[in-house]
Amino acid sequence: MNVTLTVNGTQRTITVESRRLLADVLRQEFNLSGVHIGCAHGACGCCTVHVDGAPKLSCLTFAGQCDGKSISTVEVLGGVEAEHPLQAAFRSEHGLQCGYCTPGFVMTLAPFVDDRVAEGRMPDDLEIREAMSGNICRCTGYHGIVAAVRKAIGDRLAKGTQA
Amino acid sequence: MLRPSAFEYHKPETLDQALALLAEFGDEGRPLAGGQSLVPMMNLRLARPQHLVDINDLGLEAIERDGPILRIGALVRHERYLTDPLIGALMPVFQEGVHYIGHPTIRRHGSIGGSLAHADPTAELPLLAVLYDAQIVVRSVNGERRVAAAAFFHGAYMTAIDPGEMIVAVEFPIPQTAAAGAFIEVGERRGDFALAAVAVQLAIDGGRIGTASVACSGAAQHAIRLPELERALIGKPLGEPAPENEIARIAGALKPPGDHAASADYRRALLKTLLTRATATACARAREIS
Repeated sequence: MNVTLTVNGTQRTITVESRRLLADVLRQEFNLSGVHIGCAHGACGCCTVHVDGAPKLSCLTFAGQCDGKSISTVEVLGGVEAEHPLQAAFRSEHGLQCGYCTPGFVMTLAPFVDDRVAEGRMPDDLEIREAMSGNICRCTGYHGIVAAVRKAIGDRLAKGTQA
Repeated sequence: MLRPSAFEYHKPETLDQALALLAEFGDEGRPLAGGQSLVPMMNLRLARPQHLVDINDLGLEAIERDGPILRIGALVRHERYLTDPLIGALMPVFQEGVHYIGHPTIRRHGSIGGSLAHADPTAELPLLAVLYDAQIVVRSVNGERRVAAAAFFHGAYMTAIDPGEMIVAVEFPIPQTAAAGAFIEVGERRGDFALAAVAVQLAIDGGRIGTASVACSGAAQHAIRLPELERALIGKPLGEPAPENEIARIAGALKPPGDHAASADYRRALLKTLLTRATATACARAREIS
């Protein structure tokens, strides 16, 4: 089947088998290796991308379902230098070690950070942990990730920007 | 590598077209909504439908009050309940239970029709459907029928849905008097499927418990009600503590399944604790609002 996808701002029409997962198509057809596949059945969150702006598990999404949709991956979030404020906070707060789960965490949590900044509100740790409960990290023990989310929100609230 | 077997993808624009496709494919066809249950099953090759009928364009997304009934369209996504004013006002236990469903990304895409049709033994929405005596509205090219939640779940991943049918809505009777309740669940990790969960709903009648509904998952291959405990609660004055001895006796007689996640004995002990806590919380909340 033919599908037209706008991936990280570039529109392309490709022919795919209906059973192909969005995660595989992004990795193989679009060369976006930041889309990591952990469990391939919706348990680990590694493959989270944005479909029309909202986080979605690309291992539970068929590419054929995304005809006409706009998809963003971690590659477009902060560029090759990973300059998004949340990515910077992951670095400074030790929110990653091996890094395999990190693209999924960042794609899940970036909209969460934006929403809290827009509300002008620092969430408590329980709320942050619920927001990231769909992502599994086997290295950090999660404390550094919670700290990174707090820093990303706190820095922007302190600056008073909505950027 | 976990990948699904081949299938043909269909995306009808109307419900009639979808039902015609499902009638044509019978056993070989499955509706695809949020994909949060069916696609994992396909990736694991536990499900191998030859045809997927994508129903996401069919509407079926209303939450509406129709007299004593709250009608939820099959494609309503779980996250909606957390902010829906009708659910919040009329069915707080429902809302409490939704917090335990998966995690935010799953709640954004998963649908009530999908969850009920999947019929995981310890999923939250099937438990809530059993708690509230919901009617599941299923339709095929031959027409529509309603199945009571108590008769809908036949076992783990097994329901009353026949080939060619799909869920179009779920109808919840709205509690007619002031009501309070509680929902408690325990899983291995936050967002996992439960080892066991308990939901309690008490309707207040004067200073007493008027009607009581107690449902649990983890005690059988699908959610069940505990009528004996319900009878023990009905008529009790609101100030009285939960009947712990009665709960212990009823929990002790349960015959939960044992599996890789928990033994039968562990689940029975867990259910006793959850029943005690949920009942006590529900009784305390009933007293607060009366």
